[in-house]
Amino acid sequence: MVEALAVASGKGGTGKTTSTLALGMALAEQYDVTVVDADMGMANLLFHAGLADVETTLHDVLVEGGPPVEAAVYDRYGMSVVPCGTSLADFASADPTRLRDVVASLATDTDVILLDSAATLSSRAAVLPIVLADRVVVVLEPTIPSLSDGLKVQEYATSYDTGTAGILFNKVRDDDAIDRIAPKAERYFEGPTLASVPASDTVRAARRAGQPLLAYAPESAAAEAYREAVRGLSVRDGDSAAVADRFRSAVVPESL
Amino acid sequence: MKLPRGQLVRSRVITDPRTVLVDALDRELTGYALLEPQGSLLLDDDGTGVLTFDEGVPVVAYHTGTDRGGPPALADLAASGPYDLELFAVHPGALDAVHHRDAFSVPPGMAADRLAGDQDLADRTRERSSRSRPAGVDAVEADDEAGSEVGAVEAFLDDAGKIEAIREQAREEAQERAEEWGFDI
Repeated sequence: MVEALAVASGKGGTGKTTSTLALGMALAEQYDVTVVDADMGMANLLFHAGLADVETTLHDVLVEGGPPVEAAVYDRYGMSVVPCGTSLADFASADPTRLRDVVASLATDTDVILLDSAATLSSRAAVLPIVLADRVVVVLEPTIPSLSDGLKVQEYATSYDTGTAGILFNKVRDDDAIDRIAPKAERYFEGPTLASVPASDTVRAARRAGQPLLAYAPESAAAEAYREAVRGLSVRDGDSAAVADRFRSAVVPESL
Repeated sequence: MKLPRGQLVRSRVITDPRTVLVDALDRELTGYALLEPQGSLLLDDDGTGVLTFDEGVPVVAYHTGTDRGGPPALADLAASGPYDLELFAVHPGALDAVHHRDAFSVPPGMAADRLAGDQDLADRTRERSSRSRPAGVDAVEADDEAGSEVGAVEAFLDDAGKIEAIREQAREEAQERAEEWGFDI
């Protein structure tokens, strides 16, 4: 079985990468999880996962004649993590369309693929993870611009036949307020509110320490919120071979 | 609203109004931004938003399309980008007359919250504002602002027409780009 979920927001600063790794670690208690940094232009997952010094990243794999994806897979925190490099020159020489084959190859050997997506919808490379995924998890802050961008992400996803697994409110400062905002937001999103993650300095400290939140502060309220999110996220059974085929046959232009 | 002539310091298209708010705060700019939404999908998108700054902190907001000032002007402008931006600097004191129009004034962090959705930037802006103001005033105002932000988000979600327009525009954009980018949908 395998399901590919894109963690997306459409807007920067919502805590997408923190959320991707936190959801990944929470899912890893039940499933075999692979996390891919598909934010190829503004990669930062490597800093969150203590992988800043690794030699081979997704960028290398996406270059013609590059190593197989296995060379960029690192076992960390109970998950398989595929970080992306931060060099713009490497981004320029990488071919994002090869992500399709990377995902297809990873799909044969995992239960859940989480794609940390770009915080924009303005390029093919940025939208590609949403096209490839089965469903999106939309990370939102309880603000007008974030909700507006989250709605745009969902419309893009729907247009590409990608479903909505749910919405996740992050950086929540006021519990009472989110209790009023979330039900109103749910009217427009196709998935449920998976959790409300409280704003916390612990999240920032985890990032500075180069550790995922669930490793740095597993007992924190924010970590518990991510575990709650995963309890509401029913991972769907997909036939690995069929999913891999789908990724391989996704129609993606060869040049970006 | 009569604005003084200023020196143009930035002119470009921006997708996220956060850019201009950060720029003004970093420069400690006294001046004003003109924000004109590029799309005119929504009725209240017609017109230009004006946001003035005092040493980087937003003071007054006005929307020429709806003729509304203060917080409602920010609501008119929110979630309607990309925008054509022009940012002007003026001499200290040149905006005094404009800044005395209390009916158009906005709390210091409100533009960061509503236009950029950036709570940290809102905090930084409030902090900058509090430096030149008596202690205590901003603490009260910050609480009021937090309450009114929630109200603004709820009002946004209750505006089914605006939300449908945003979705419709995104759908059309996704379809057009799918064709342009060669995605099979």
